[in-house]
Amino acid sequence: MDDNKQNRTVIEAEIPMGPVHPAALEPYRLRLFVEDEIVRDAEMTVGVNHRGVERIMEGLPVEKANSLTEKICGICSNSHIWNSCRTAEIALGIEVPERANYIRIIMEELERLHSHLLYLAHGNEVLGHETFSMRLFYIRETVMDLLGMIGGNRVQYGSAVLGGVRPRCQLDEMRLQKIREGMDLIEEKVTAFADRFVSDPMIMSRITGVGVISSKDALRLACSGPTLRATGVAKDLRTDMPEYDPFEFDVITQDDGDVKSQLLMRVFENFEAIKIIRQAVRDLPEGPITNRSWEMQDTPITKSYIEVPRGTLYHSYALEDGRVRNCVIRTPSMANIGAMQYACIGHHITDAQLSVVQCDPCFTCTDRAIEIIKI
Amino acid sequence: MSLKSYSRGRAVHVMLVYTGGCNGCDIEIVNCILSPKFDAEQYKVFLTWNPREADVLVVTGPVTKHNEQPLREIYNAIPEPKAVVAAGACALMGGVYKNCHGDIPSEEIAGPVDNIIPVDAKVPGCAVRPQDIVAGLVSALPLLLNAD
Repeated sequence: MDDNKQNRTVIEAEIPMGPVHPAALEPYRLRLFVEDEIVRDAEMTVGVNHRGVERIMEGLPVEKANSLTEKICGICSNSHIWNSCRTAEIALGIEVPERANYIRIIMEELERLHSHLLYLAHGNEVLGHETFSMRLFYIRETVMDLLGMIGGNRVQYGSAVLGGVRPRCQLDEMRLQKIREGMDLIEEKVTAFADRFVSDPMIMSRITGVGVISSKDALRLACSGPTLRATGVAKDLRTDMPEYDPFEFDVITQDDGDVKSQLLMRVFENFEAIKIIRQAVRDLPEGPITNRSWEMQDTPITKSYIEVPRGTLYHSYALEDGRVRNCVIRTPSMANIGAMQYACIGHHITDAQLSVVQCDPCFTCTDRAIEIIKI
Repeated sequence: MSLKSYSRGRAVHVMLVYTGGCNGCDIEIVNCILSPKFDAEQYKVFLTWNPREADVLVVTGPVTKHNEQPLREIYNAIPEPKAVVAAGACALMGGVYKNCHGDIPSEEIAGPVDNIIPVDAKVPGCAVRPQDIVAGLVSALPLLLNAD
């Protein structure tokens, strides 16, 4: 009996989650290896909802393929269609009119607002604070109404077409006035929310020091977007994009890299998005919204990177007889999977879900692999 | 009205299953129940993630091969009486993913929800609007309330 007690070995327990699990909205598989309720290792497998949009895009006319990229993700649909159009515009040398560029920026920043508000709402739901979650869903409705007004649909509202924006997305004075009023309302409500959120001792004690990623590790794991900036690395692709040249905005960073920094990061980015939208509405130039004077030709593989709400999005394809060839899409959540696994390690098992959610996962975007991994 | 149907009507639990769509429909469904603007909770409709306490199963997305078996298991775990609502163009007829591989049988899509489990109400749209979701849920309610 005593021998057994002395020689006993600690059995490493595995807690599998998913692919369909109550705590996770989207299907993915997370394996947590725990020892005394502390997560020692984590492994995430995606690929459950792989549909193969690139496969459908192969051989389609480029205009059709552009509108198909919208169906990759229901949260950041505009950024996919924008980047897909941008790839063809770079390849064919199409100049986008200035007004169209401004309207695209307005749509993209509205999308950033609704994506970040959704992230905050989801984060608060995982925290267990449903009142904040409902409050944020209510604030988000203002953005959804604006997107529905401009794009004609609440969710798949992509504005870009090859060479400009759709005629439906033309902004007249009434729409601009509604955007101005909406921005005032959102700024007021988000400020009120942020004050209450920061001054809530219960929430702060729950999220401070949980799921820490250091800036060194975030760079090593090749994170992108707000997940990287929340660890203290000031890296934003918007500063390098020519589309954002006319606008003044700050690159927000946070220091700690824990869940608190990640959540506050999104709150502050919302204010920056509001700032950009206000500048775009104020300085909206007159002129055409579509450039139709271009010619289709065969091009080699062209790449395009843009900054979307979750990080850096990459599209590339070649054109052959006006049809898409060799399409590759790489989404920001793909780069952040490493951070999701890493953030779980060393923390209590109850914090694992929060550590995954803090990196803003979007697994519909992520499942872009050409080869399906057997689960 | 029997006591059973009275109590069932007072607490309709909706379970959302996501089978590989684009997230748009899912967020609209969560939005329509949680958001104070649409607020289905005021009509005693609650969101749950546990199939054993669910009454209505809302399915979104074209069912991918990996999700086919979990969907069947979830459907079987829900106690009778139950109703299934398919929401969104993908769940109804496969959406843009239907002809993923042309005429070749698809390796990734197991087809619309109809092929796998019986569907009682269909909500069209890409993505579905919250108003339509509430209408679809209401149209499925007689199945629950009239069962003995």
